[in-house]
Amino acid sequence: MEFKPRAPDDSVNVAPGHPLAEAAWLIGGITLVGAVAVVSLIWAVELALPLISVEAEREIFASFADFFAEEADEGEPDPRVEPLRGLLAELAGLWPEAPYEFQLGFLDEDAPNALALPGGHILVTRGLLDMLESENEVAFVLAHELGHFANRDHLRALGRAMVLGLAFAAVTGSGAGAATPQTLGVVRTLAERGFSRDQERDADAFGLQLLQARYGHVNGSTGFFDRLQAHPAFRDEGGALGAWMATHPHSGDRIEALRALAAERGWPAAGALTPMRRSSP
Amino acid sequence: MFELIFFLLFTVAPLLGAYVIGTTLERRHFRSIRAREDELRAFPTVTLRQAPAAWQAQHAELVIGHVVVSIDYFKRFLAGLRTLVGGRVRAFESVLDRGRREALLRMQEQARAGGFDAVIGVRYETSRLASARPDGQGTSGVEVMAFGTAVRVTAPSSSAAVEHALADTVPVD
Repeated sequence: MEFKPRAPDDSVNVAPGHPLAEAAWLIGGITLVGAVAVVSLIWAVELALPLISVEAEREIFASFADFFAEEADEGEPDPRVEPLRGLLAELAGLWPEAPYEFQLGFLDEDAPNALALPGGHILVTRGLLDMLESENEVAFVLAHELGHFANRDHLRALGRAMVLGLAFAAVTGSGAGAATPQTLGVVRTLAERGFSRDQERDADAFGLQLLQARYGHVNGSTGFFDRLQAHPAFRDEGGALGAWMATHPHSGDRIEALRALAAERGWPAAGALTPMRRSSP
Repeated sequence: MFELIFFLLFTVAPLLGAYVIGTTLERRHFRSIRAREDELRAFPTVTLRQAPAAWQAQHAELVIGHVVVSIDYFKRFLAGLRTLVGGRVRAFESVLDRGRREALLRMQEQARAGGFDAVIGVRYETSRLASARPDGQGTSGVEVMAFGTAVRVTAPSSSAAVEHALADTVPVD
């Protein structure tokens, strides 16, 4: 027996393999699993939609509707909103099987936008009201939002937003905080931009039909988009960020689709525009 | 284009930077560890609780070597991903390996500087240093401590003495 000092195996306590390769495998694999999970959950939302009755929707989203309603009540009430409630009721009256009692809310935001939220809440922003010039244009926007309700897009968007909100919470590690105000904020933001181009097109078609039923012509359906194209926030050449943030189809495409639909159905594109309703002083 | 540059600037660039710097420092540390290990190869350092009688050991004294090592941003990221799927956390293995070897080397260097011939009863302690984050979660680094009893050996040759001692206690092939 002999004692020989010698170097121990240097590598046995450190696993072999390149750190960058490990990072690539982990990122790739986790992204793939996450993508599969998100896609299947979105698919599950799609499957669940027909199973949710309007009554169930009201019950499930009662707290959600409160959340949005509270937010909508903040800020100065805009005098332009009140007269539009009557218009919304008239339009809803033209949709016989309307499942909700629709309510109109106001958001004090610059971006021109209208939202369809669970429970029959429609929110319009100050930026939107600033851009509309006739009652017909307002009517088309409101009828378009009614179209989202008709196609249950509001639920679909919310379901998708919740899936993505969960994914967001998982990635950022807020874990159990799926119901925190921050996550709700993300869900809200996603819900706002959650409608796909097809959904917008279908809602446009529904809105156009109501517009024709209400006024006997579809003039005013494209005025908003004409102005939107000139709006700095939505200009098509707004660069990568603009294209990335934009969720609605390009305004030009929608104008064409609306004209084509009107022509196909034989709805007159010309007609007298009704002036904007003002609240009596 | 700007978004892409921003994204890279704030996500990928820090990771790559941490990887390059961390890897360079780790390689340098391993080089230093190997060189010093070679130098101390013949310094008897054993886990035996008592000095073998053949050593005629004198002047026992406590020697401690400790080191605090931190992970870098890239390792933290890599280990974070690893915790999702499980498996060997390679990113941390090399850090702990460095820590243990460095701590032992410092202990040996202390013993040698004190004029001792061997260290018996070597033990390790490892403790996590809590993070400076407000919630106390996460790891800012790990402390590895090696300690033992340094002794002077009065036997003619310490290498030969170790050989005798080991022959008395444990089978050596």
